[in-house]
Parts: sequence; C-alpha cells; structure tokens
Amino acid sequence: MAWNLDIKGVLHPFSALKQGFKRPHTLNYPLEKRQDVPGYRGFHVNSLIGCVGCGNCQDICMNEAIDMIEPLAEINPKNASGLVPRIDYGRCCWCGLCADVCGPGSLRLAGDAIYVGPDADSFLYMPRDE
Amino acid sequence: MSETIKIFHGPQHPGVTGNMSLELDLDGETIVKAKTHVGYLHRGFEKLIERRTVIQAFTIVCRICVPEPDPNEENFARGVEELLGLEISERAQFIRVMILELARLQSHLLWLAGQGASIGHEVVPQWAVGERDYILDLFEEITGGRVYHMYIYPGGVKRDLPDGLLERLLVLLDRLEARLPEYDRIFFDNAGVKKRLQKVGVVDPEEAIRNGYSGPVIRACGIDRDVRRDAPYLVYDQLAFDVPTESDGDAYARALVRRAEMVQSIRLLRQVADRLPAGEVQCKLPRHRQLKLPRAETYVQTESARGAFGYFMAGDGTPYLRRLQVRGPSIVHAFTLLEDLLVGAQLSDVALIMTSLGICPPEIER
Repeated sequence: MAWNLDIKGVLHPFSALKQGFKRPHTLNYPLEKRQDVPGYRGFHVNSLIGCVGCGNCQDICMNEAIDMIEPLAEINPKNASGLVPRIDYGRCCWCGLCADVCGPGSLRLAGDAIYVGPDADSFLYMPRDE
Repeated sequence: MSETIKIFHGPQHPGVTGNMSLELDLDGETIVKAKTHVGYLHRGFEKLIERRTVIQAFTIVCRICVPEPDPNEENFARGVEELLGLEISERAQFIRVMILELARLQSHLLWLAGQGASIGHEVVPQWAVGERDYILDLFEEITGGRVYHMYIYPGGVKRDLPDGLLERLLVLLDRLEARLPEYDRIFFDNAGVKKRLQKVGVVDPEEAIRNGYSGPVIRACGIDRDVRRDAPYLVYDQLAFDVPTESDGDAYARALVRRAEMVQSIRLLRQVADRLPAGEVQCKLPRHRQLKLPRAETYVQTESARGAFGYFMAGDGTPYLRRLQVRGPSIVHAFTLLEDLLVGAQLSDVALIMTSLGICPPEIER
C-alpha cells in the first residue's frame, strides 16, 4: 500500500496543545453557578389568589400530569371549583401548555429546575404560591 | 471453508448512535453479513398523536429525534398550517429559519463529537460538545428549553425573541467561524483521521438515487439534492446559500460536506439576523378542542441535518389527526444502506460508518 507522507496532517493536530493555555469553558461547580436564564421552563408556580380553579390546565395537559385537588392554603374567593392544580413531575414534560391556557395567568413556569428527593410521592408537586 | 462467528453490536454499545443493534457475522475481523435490528426504542408516537388534539400533539413530535428535534416541529406545524390554510407572519418564518439552522449547526457539532469518538480521537468530542452548549444556551434563551424546544407552533412560534438576542447570536457565529479552522487542523486535515475515514463506507451514486438516500449521504456522492433549495419552504427562497457536494462518497466526503454545511448555516443565520422583519410571531388560534382539521391530507418535507424529513398528515374533521406518518432519512440509511456498507468492512469501522451516516434510531421507530 502506498504511503504518502502528509507532514501538515501530522503536525497540525498538535496545535490543539495551545488550548491548554486558554481559560476553561467550564464552571467550577458548586463554587461557581450558571446565571438563571429568564424564560426558562422550570418548576411551576401558581398564585393561589389568582387561580380560578377552571381546570383548563388539567384539560390541555397531554400527559395527564395535572390533578385538580383541594388546596391546603387560602385561595381566591372567586375560585369556582374550590380546587387548584397539582403537578405530577413523573409525567410532566415541561411543555408549558398549562401556563399558556391559564386564563388569569396565575400558573406559570419559574426558572428553577433542580429537585432531588428519595420519596417518589414527593414528585406530586403543589406549585409554589407566588 | 472458514467459520464465522456471530456478535451483536448494540443496543448498549457506546459506538452505536442510539438504541439499535447490529447482528454481525464475522470472519476474523471482517464482516460477512450484517443485519439491523430496531425495536429497543419504540414509543409509539404516531399512535399517541392520533389520541391527542393537534395542540397537545405538538409537544410529542420533537421527541421523535433527540439530536435535532426542530425539523419535526417545523414539519408538524407546517402540515397543520397547510391543512387549516393558516398564513404565518414573515417574522415567524425568519425566526423558524433561525431555529432550524441553529439546530443544524448543533446537530453537526454533535455528529463531529460522535465521529471523533468513533475513531478514538478524544479531543474533538470535548471541543464540539462544548461548542454545542453555547448554541443550547441560545436555545434556552429563545425557547425556554435546551434540547426539546417545543417552540415552533402551528400558526407561528411560541414567543418572540428576547432583547439583545441577535447581538448574542452574531457573537456566537463569529466565535464558531473562528473555531472552524481549528477543527480543520485537529480533525479534517488530520492525517490519522483521513487514514481512518477515506475509502470507508463508500456509497454508489446510482444506488443513492435509486434507494432515496438524502442529506450529507447523497451530497457526498456528488448529487446536490437539498429540500431547502429544491422545494423551498419558509423564506429559504429569499436567502442565499450553496448546497455543498463532494464526489468520493466515503465517510471522509460526508465529513467534508457537513463541515461545508456548517459554513452555509452560519451564512444563513447572518442573513436572518440582518433581515429579520418586525411584526407578530403567532396568529390567533381557537381553543385546542375547537381547532378542527378539515378532511384533507398533506405531505410536508424539511431538510434536517441528516437528510429529508417528511410528514404525511391526514385530518378528518375532528381536532385529532386521523393519521400521521413520519418518514425520516434514517430508515433507509440504517437498513438498505448500512447493511450493504458493512459487508466487507472491518469490525472497528462499524461505529465509524454508522456515525458518518448520521443514523438516528428514534426516527425509525416513531
């Protein structure tokens, strides 16, 4: 088999070495953290004083991740059903359709998205009241 | 007569581009017969979509292809718009082109990482995945998600671009453009890489036309087919870009085609940033259960990073699609082509050939 010596092709890859003198692109986690991105689709928040209990979020959720349940805190007196959404994060795909169809705009997605828990039932999440 | 042994390459092999398996008959290191097995990743998308309203189904389609979800969103949205006769604003069309080209760039960078890893070049995967993350940062800002964007929506796009996005896009494009020569030095001009990729997985142009191959696979055989130019959608007919081709048809030619496509994507993105018009990004749609599709059918196509991606969609007067059929490029590349290319190849070239074809199993088992 013929062997054509490609000197450029042998030497040029060593130019990668100069990257060793450049600043790294990674962050020194957990000492440094990424900035939150506005508009990121993270966990749900629901303003209980605004929620009218219409169930539009439950209706549009294609994963059936939303149940309308009895609230534990004080709610909007105009809440027609007396129920508020609870999200099952075992099913949620963070599409944001529930927030899109929320008439009073009480349900929305916040920027935080990290949760670790040993109890699978804790993934049935009551959106934070804001 | 020599004896052959049978091994399974995948579905959990690090060199396999997803969950699929290759049943290989080996004579020593040489493959004498290859058979593709899929079915490890079947999630039943087409059937799930028939049971959901159009708006609900839009969140599923992006999951049909993990490395490049946006052509699926575009196909689905355009199909629904064609069935309903919706006109979308020019701004939304430009934003969609921006998303699709960014998706192509990040998909090619992911391919570059895979191609490097498949031949034991461990520097380029680190670089390419790192570079891709900067594109995902932009996606995160625009759409709210890094990998699954759920952004291209029937009637336009989900939300407008954030303030200052175009400046950040141009900074990123400058950065990527400056990095490409460095990729050339360590990968595309690398003597070792050429030795591994040249004359491996050679595709015959006549066969490519006969079997309906597309994307970089067909363009690397010297046939310039590109849906963006041949059947323009969105505003691609208003934008200037070339369709890069190579003539050798081997894995290295496919690599060079993808390298040239990255340059063209950067060129397209600069034009989009330059010409982005003002206006609405979403037209008014009825509530999701009132959005009824007429009794009609359509076939839409998008040029994804791996080839022509087609959707057949049929409505029946209800809010549900009667049928949605996905035809991704990988189905012919993984069966008709790969099974042929592997015969006579070495075992160490299996991952290399698979990656160079850009096979994506989720789109085969949609």
